Amino acid sequence: MSRRTKSPSGVIDAPLDVAAQAKAREEGRPSVRDGRLKTYEPGANVGRFLELLGRRVSRPLAVSLTACVHCGRCAESCHYFLARPDDPTMTPVWKADQIRKIFKRHVDWTGRVAPWWAKAGTPDGDEDLNRLKNVVFGACSACRRCTFNCPMGVDTALLVRFTRGLLTELGIVPEGVFNVSRDQWETGNQMAVTETDFLETIEWMRDDLRAELGPGADIPVDRPDCDILYTINPREIKFDPRSIAHAARIFHAAGASWTLPKWGWDQTNFGLFSGDDALGAYVSRNLYEAAERLRARRIVISECGHGYRSTRWEGYTWSGYDQKLPTESIVAVLRRYLEEGRIVVDPGRNLEPVTFHDSCNIARSGDLVEEPRQVLRRVCADFREMHPNRQENFCCTGGGGLLAMAEYRPLRLEAGKVKAEQLKATEAALVCTMCHNCIDGLGDVIKHYHLPMRVVQVLELVSRALVLPAGS
Amino acid sequence: MPIIESEGLRIEVNEEGFLAHPEEWTEEMAKVLAKAEEGLDELTPEHWAVVRFIRGYYAEKSLAPMVRKMCQATGFPLMKIYDLFPSGPAKGACKVAGLPKPDGCV
Amino acid sequence: MSNLLRTFENEVQLAALAFMGLVYALRLVWIFRFRVGRERTVAVGREGAGTGYSLMNIAMPWAMESTRTHPGRYLEFVVLHLGIAAAIAASFIIPYGPGLFETAWVRGIFRAFIAAAGLAGLARLARRLTNPVLREISSPDDYFSLVFLIVWLAAGVLALPDRPAAGEGPLLAFFGLTAFLLVYVPFSKIGHYLYYPFSRIYLGRTLGHRGAWPPAAAKSAGAGPARKGAA
Ligand code: HEM
Ligand code: SF4
Ligand code: SF4
Repeated sequence: MSRRTKSPSGVIDAPLDVAAQAKAREEGRPSVRDGRLKTYEPGANVGRFLELLGRRVSRPLAVSLTACVHCGRCAESCHYFLARPDDPTMTPVWKADQIRKIFKRHVDWTGRVAPWWAKAGTPDGDEDLNRLKNVVFGACSACRRCTFNCPMGVDTALLVRFTRGLLTELGIVPEGVFNVSRDQWETGNQMAVTETDFLETIEWMRDDLRAELGPGADIPVDRPDCDILYTINPREIKFDPRSIAHAARIFHAAGASWTLPKWGWDQTNFGLFSGDDALGAYVSRNLYEAAERLRARRIVISECGHGYRSTRWEGYTWSGYDQKLPTESIVAVLRRYLEEGRIVVDPGRNLEPVTFHDSCNIARSGDLVEEPRQVLRRVCADFREMHPNRQENFCCTGGGGLLAMAEYRPLRLEAGKVKAEQLKATEAALVCTMCHNCIDGLGDVIKHYHLPMRVVQVLELVSRALVLPAGS
Repeated sequence: MPIIESEGLRIEVNEEGFLAHPEEWTEEMAKVLAKAEEGLDELTPEHWAVVRFIRGYYAEKSLAPMVRKMCQATGFPLMKIYDLFPSGPAKGACKVAGLPKPDGCV
Repeated sequence: MSNLLRTFENEVQLAALAFMGLVYALRLVWIFRFRVGRERTVAVGREGAGTGYSLMNIAMPWAMESTRTHPGRYLEFVVLHLGIAAAIAASFIIPYGPGLFETAWVRGIFRAFIAAAGLAGLARLARRLTNPVLREISSPDDYFSLVFLIVWLAAGVLALPDRPAAGEGPLLAFFGLTAFLLVYVPFSKIGHYLYYPFSRIYLGRTLGHRGAWPPAAAKSAGAGPARKGAA
C-alpha cells in the first residue's frame, strides 16, 4: 500500500441535519406523532444513551465488547482502511472502540475504576454523539468482513448495528435514515409506494407479459393457497419492474403456483440498517402474516442482500415469530428449477464474460454461496470468479444502508478502491449480483472508477437464457 | 457541495450529483447534467418528453414519478427509458430533470 | 531453600490462584447476567459444526485471510502463547513436580519456549510502539500487559535452572511476578482467554445455524446435488 493520506477522513465532522425531522414533526406525520420514529431533542441525550446501552446490551454483544485484544488484525480486512491505510480511524477496531470505551466506562469493571488505564470514556454531549453517528453510519458498511477476520471472534459489525440502534432512539441519525424509516413505518414499504401504484405497475407488467406469452401468463396478486408467496423490493415497483417481469416469465415456464401479496410484499427492511429492532419486527411481521393470510406454502424473497438476511433470518427474531414456512431466496428456487429440469436454458444467449459479486448480507450473514454460482454456470457461457470471493468478498460499498446517506458518498467511493481493483481484474463485461443494493453500489464504483462493465442480476441472465416451450 | 461548471453555468449538486436546489432547474442545466452525469452529448425530443413529464409531475406532487407513469405519459416501453438514460429512471432521468435524490436504496 | 521462597512458591501462589478463581467466578456471573435471545428460525446448517469451527479457528491459520496472508504474525502469536503456557506450567512444576526439571533437556526446552515467547513479545511491543495504527488503538493496559509479560517471561528464563542454592533472587522474582499476574489478569486485557469461548461460541452458533460456518468448500460445477431442503 503506497498511497499516503495523512489527514483523517472528513466524515467524522458531518453535521447533524434535522431539517427533515423538524418538517415531519411540523406536519404531524403519524410515525412521529405516535412515537414509533424518534426525533432529535437537544438536551439529555447522553444520559438516555447510557441508560439504553446498559439496558440493551446482550451477551453476544457484551463479550464482543470485552474480548478485543487490540491486535489490529482486522484492519486490513476493511475496505475503508485499505483505501486509507494511514488513517487509524478507518480500522474496524477503532470504530468499535468508540462504543467499547463507553461500555467500559459505564458497564465493565476496570474502566469504571480506572478509566484512563483502559481508555474508557463518556461522550461529552450531543457533539460527541453526532461524531459517533458519523463513525457507525458514515465509515462502516456493516459488511462483517472484519468479524470473519478477528481471531478472537469479535463481531464488530454487530456492535456497529447495535450503536446505530441506540442513536436511532435519539434521532441522531443521517437524514436519509430518518426519511426511509419514516416511509417504511408509514406505508409498509421503503419507497412510499401506494397500493394503487403497486397494483397498476403489476398490471402493466402483466399486460406486457401477456403480449409476449399469451393470455395464460399471469402475475397474480393476493391469490390464496399458492406454493410460493413472492416478495419484492419496492425499487422493483417504483423504478425497475423488469425484474418482476423476469421472475414472472420464469415462474410461467416452470408452471409454478405463485402470488404476490397486496400487503406485506416489501422484503427489504430498513430496521437492519438503522438498528431499530421495532421497525425490523414491524416490516417482517407484515410479510409473515401475509403468507399466513394467503395460506402460502413457502416464502420466496426476490434478489436482495439485506432483504434476504432480514426476512430469512433476523426478522423472525425481531418479530418474535417462530418460523413456520420455508423461507428462501429466488436464486435457490432457480437452482432447483434447473436441477429438476423444470426450466430449460441456453447459455449461448449469455455470451459475454460474467463474474459474480457476493452480497455481504448473503455470504457472511446468510447461507447462499454456491447456489448463485450453480445457476450462473448453467446460464452463462463464460462464468469467471472474482477474487477474493464468497465469504471473503469485498462490499459493493453500498451496504449498511449507505446508499440512502448522500453525505458519506465521497468516502464510500474512495473506499471502493479495492472493489474496483477486484472487478477490473476479472475482465468481465457483466458483474452479476443477487442484491438491489449491490446493483447501485457496484454501479457507482463502475462509474467512479471508469470500468467497462455493467451490473446485472441473476434473474435477468436466467430470463435471457430461458428457452420457452414452443407455442407458448 | 460539489459544483459542476460548464457552458457558463455553475451548478451546485449534492454528493450524488443531484441538483442541490431543485427549484432552480432550467433546461440549460438539464443539458449540462445530462452531459456530466449521464454522458449524453445531446438531448433528443424523446429525452425531453421524459424530462418534461418528470418536471411537471414533481411540480405538482413534490415526488418522483414511478417509472410506470413515465412510460404511460410518454408512450415509451420500459426498455426505452433505459436506452435513453443509461442510469435508469431514478439516477438518470430524475437527475437530469433536476429532482432531489429519491429516498431509499437507489 | 529459604522459608520466604517456600512461601512464595506455595502459599502466595495458592492465595493468588484462589483470588483469581473468585474474580473469575464473579466475572462469569456478570457475563451470564446479560440476556441472550432465542433462535426462532429453522436451521440450515448445524450449530455444533459452526461452533466447533469457530473455536478451532485459532488453530487453522489457513481459515482466515488475516492469518493466511501474515504467516509470520501468526507464528509470533503461537510462539508467544506456547511460551506463556510453558511459564505457567513451570510455576506449578517447580513446587509440585521438581523431578521433571532435574533432566537438563526438559529444562532446556522450557527455557527455549519461554525465551522465544519473550522475543515474540518484544517484537509485538516494538510494533505497538511504532505502528501509528496500533498506537492509536492502544491503551495503557495494552502496553503494560505486554511489558509485564516480557519481564515475567524473562524472569522465567532466569529462574528455570531451578537452583535455589545458586541464589534465590530469580526464583523469588518469578514467583512474585506470577502471583501478581494471577491477580492482575482478570482486570486487564489479558483476561481475553476467559471471553474467548463465549465470543467464539455465540458467533459460531449463529453462523453454524445459518449454514455459513463451516464454509462450504468450493465444489460442485453445474447444478449439483440438492443441499438444502428441496420442495
Ligand atoms: C484460550 C487461551 C488463549 C487464547 C485463545 C488467546 C488468544 C489470543 C489472540 C488471538 C491474541 C491476538 C494475537 C495476535 O495478534 O495475533 C492474543 C494476544 C495476547 N495474548 Fe492471548 N490467548 C490465550 C491465552 C493467553 C494467556 C493465558 C495469556 C497471558 C497470561 C495471554 C496473553 C496475551 C497477550 C499479552 C496478548 C497481546 C499481545 C499484544 O499486545 O500484541 N493470552 N491472545
Ligand atoms: S482483530 Fe479482533 S481482537 Fe484484534 S483488534 Fe480487531 S476486533 Fe480486536
Ligand atoms: S463491517 Fe466492514 S466496513 Fe465495517 S468496519 Fe468491518 S470490515 Fe469495515
